[in-house]
Amino acid sequence: MTAWDVLWVALGGGVGSVLRWGVGRAVGERYHGLFPLSTFLINVSGAFAVGYLSVLFYVDWRDRYGAALNVGVVTGVLGGYTTFSTMQLDAVKLAKQRGGVSATSYLLISLVAGQLAAGLGSALARAQG
Amino acid sequence: MLKSVILVLVGGALGAVLREDLILWVPNPADQFPLDILAANLAASLLVGLVTGLCQRMAAPEGVSLFTTTGIAGGLSTFSTFAYGTVMLTLASRMSAVVASVYVLTSLALGYLAVVVGLKLSGQGSS
Repeated sequence: MTAWDVLWVALGGGVGSVLRWGVGRAVGERYHGLFPLSTFLINVSGAFAVGYLSVLFYVDWRDRYGAALNVGVVTGVLGGYTTFSTMQLDAVKLAKQRGGVSATSYLLISLVAGQLAAGLGSALARAQG
Repeated sequence: MLKSVILVLVGGALGAVLREDLILWVPNPADQFPLDILAANLAASLLVGLVTGLCQRMAAPEGVSLFTTTGIAGGLSTFSTFAYGTVMLTLASRMSAVVASVYVLTSLALGYLAVVVGLKLSGQGSS
């Protein structure tokens, strides 16, 4: 990891995090249900984008550095935009309110939707290729 | 508003750089199990539990959780690489598909547990 990589990751990670916070606020103002909708939408859209852009940039999912576009956008922005930790906190809160089945369902739905979105994103980029 | 944006921006930048440092530092097993991403996600989940609990207990100002939970932990953890990585592993070979399944279930179970442990450590676990 070069100094440029660190800079791009920091910049991208910061911007992605602000984006996540903004989407979270916008969804939170409109939706007041128990399902953690904002984190769900953030993670699924981020997974779609990572699948799409990885194919577009010709990068393997394990390539985290290299071209500025890859480091800044995929590793930085999308890594910062999506969150695993808030998803787990949501699940713990859901378990307290609604029990373990709801929490487990939320995690599994997030996982499957995220995987489908990532697969769809990469398939779309390949079809356009 | 501007103060919140700056807190999330700086926290997220710090978290993302921490994630990449951690990923470089954690060894990758020969079977392609993404131990590095798992480590980053678990560290972030533990941090989220700990800080959320402490903030509730001490009635900390919103800025503390914006910087630490939304910023650092959010930047440190990643769902996009987690989801995309498991898809690529599953499609690569039958062996790596098995690794992907183990990785997914371990991540979800241990991540949940990490939040619970973090909350417990903060003294908020029982509430």
